Amino acid sequence: MDTRKLLLESAERIFADHCDKERLESAEGGAFPEKLWGQIEENGLHMLAMPESGAELGDAFALVQLGGRHAAPIPLLEVTLANRWTGDAGRFVSLGVVSGERIVDIAWGRRADAAIGIEPGGEALLVEVDADIEHRVNPSGEARDSIEIRQPRTLDIEDPAWELFALGRTAAIAGCLGRVLELSVQYVNERQQFGRPLAKFQAIQHSLAIMAAEVAAASRAAGSAIDMLGTANPERFALEVGVAKARVGEACGIVAPIAHQVHGAIGFTHEHQLHHFTRRLWSWRDEAGSERYWQERVGRHVAGLGAERLWEFVTAPNSLRS
Amino acid sequence: MLQLDSVDLPESAERVRHEVREFLRAERDRLPRPCSDFASGHDPEFSRRLGERGWIGMTWPKQYGGGERTFFERYVVTEELLAAGAPVSAHWIADRQSGPLLLRYGSEDQKNRYLPPITRGESYFSIGMSEPNSGSDLASVRTTAERVGDQWRINGTKLWTTDAHRNHYMVALVRTEPPSENRHAGLSQLLIDLRNDGAAVRPIRNITGAEDFNEVVFEDVVVPADRIVGEPGNGWKQVTSELAYERSGPERFLSTFRVFVELVRAVGTQPTADQAAAIGRAAAHLMTLRRMSISVAGMLEAGKSPEVEAALVKSLGNDFEQALPELARSVAPTAPVAEGWDRYRETFVESLLNTPAFTLRGGTREIMRGVIARGLGLR
Repeated sequence: MDTRKLLLESAERIFADHCDKERLESAEGGAFPEKLWGQIEENGLHMLAMPESGAELGDAFALVQLGGRHAAPIPLLEVTLANRWTGDAGRFVSLGVVSGERIVDIAWGRRADAAIGIEPGGEALLVEVDADIEHRVNPSGEARDSIEIRQPRTLDIEDPAWELFALGRTAAIAGCLGRVLELSVQYVNERQQFGRPLAKFQAIQHSLAIMAAEVAAASRAAGSAIDMLGTANPERFALEVGVAKARVGEACGIVAPIAHQVHGAIGFTHEHQLHHFTRRLWSWRDEAGSERYWQERVGRHVAGLGAERLWEFVTAPNSLRS
Repeated sequence: MLQLDSVDLPESAERVRHEVREFLRAERDRLPRPCSDFASGHDPEFSRRLGERGWIGMTWPKQYGGGERTFFERYVVTEELLAAGAPVSAHWIADRQSGPLLLRYGSEDQKNRYLPPITRGESYFSIGMSEPNSGSDLASVRTTAERVGDQWRINGTKLWTTDAHRNHYMVALVRTEPPSENRHAGLSQLLIDLRNDGAAVRPIRNITGAEDFNEVVFEDVVVPADRIVGEPGNGWKQVTSELAYERSGPERFLSTFRVFVELVRAVGTQPTADQAAAIGRAAAHLMTLRRMSISVAGMLEAGKSPEVEAALVKSLGNDFEQALPELARSVAPTAPVAEGWDRYRETFVESLLNTPAFTLRGGTREIMRGVIARGLGLR
């Protein structure tokens, strides 16, 4: 755990140096943040999920969470997982979702040498990226490109790929939610109306209390799912990820509107930094399975167990961990 | 900002869970229809059986009848009893709140006298805080206790006092000095013998038709001087020290858990997509709340006073338990009732009618949000 703390401290400096407003906008304009990515590669932060890195798998997800805090405009999660599955960090391989004959939502696919397509319960397909790649973006302006599946190579991986992807998004959302709360607390303490800071109005205090509770819940949910990494029971792991993704996704729909409400019109401007975070919340909750998707999946499992085993399901100890 | 750390229940707690489940299986036939609200189900016989098993006052010193066990073990016992819908209200407040208060602030004589019967499941306590004109604004209480020789003479009225008509004692917050600039000064806590001191107890019917809470009127009620808990004038500090225990436990999100159980039973193993999503959503909330609550139990075990974190759990937890019947009816109609769904409907109605109390008792939703806002540095 101490090594994780050190790792996150040095990563915090890198993100803080490279994720200012100007660079977030530049990335949104389509320019890959080469300097930031260079720092990531130089420090081996894209290799943390590779067994030879010596790191715990949880370290990689804690780093993704920190990246979410900074809205880091890089495919950290996707490349981290791809490197784990190809075993070759020398090539830039990203990750997307198999949809019919295409791999879609490939994070920065235009910058990649190849992309891995995954889907729930499906195989992981590696496809070389060529000039035919279509440039797309998600609602937060993050590159989410699309290519046709041609001459795919099926990867032989033991990981539950879809669930690890969802856990990564969950972690990033938890980090981003924490930042949105901080921005909001800071703003209401600074902004004065009627001769006093907004923070002194009870209506504002209660809005931020709702927000803080959602953020605390999201953070605990994400942390608990990360703690389940390495469990000996893949079905339970998938359900824990589902619980976490569903919970943090729901928090996004509560936290983002409150953040905008307390920021007033300035938070609705492109000039203000808030939207880089709130638009990510709105994007990420739909990626790697929406709340609805995971709720149904968890719900079907629970219904299958039946009423008499509901409580047993809720209280299953983490000692399932291997 | 407000972080709830990862805490795993230790092996010892999981062992206790197994014991409680065995016990509940054996008891099942003699228990009434399950209700997971901690305030319903007053059953002295059941409380005595729990006392025999050592499941009341679990964390207290052995010399007062306690078990010197961890907060985690106590946590597991309470959540298992609530989830099963066992009748726990008789001893609940004494175990959760009044006993720990006496342990921390009571005299040696008080501890020896009052704690062992609590741990045996024989002695039950009520909370004497609210008054007709003092609800959320607790520091405004007007009930007075005047020192006359070696006695206290009490005048005033306590209100919403749960189970005062069947419990043995009340810990009353009273004014022992006239109000001053510092409104938190001059308050004290007194032990009242509800059966022998002469306080008049009048039950009040609630919207469910039940008579659980009461008005307790003191007209020149005289009690011995040694009924004072802690120092005279220290009442406010003592009362607020109870809050982390009072607000973070599983009773703050499990009150309508039986609706969840009956919903799962009613929809069966082949739910519609909407039903599955509702069940998954409730599970995601419940499992997250439980982990937050266990995290606070970890802080209590470490000797901290996590008042703000407890308010987070209570606030989110109350919202969840209040919303659960609404979520259920949105995917599984409660009227007209489907064949075989009687139990679902009964549980739904009973729970629904109790839901308004969740965000009132133990500190209202608005008070909780104020505590959280203070934790965020806004006040």
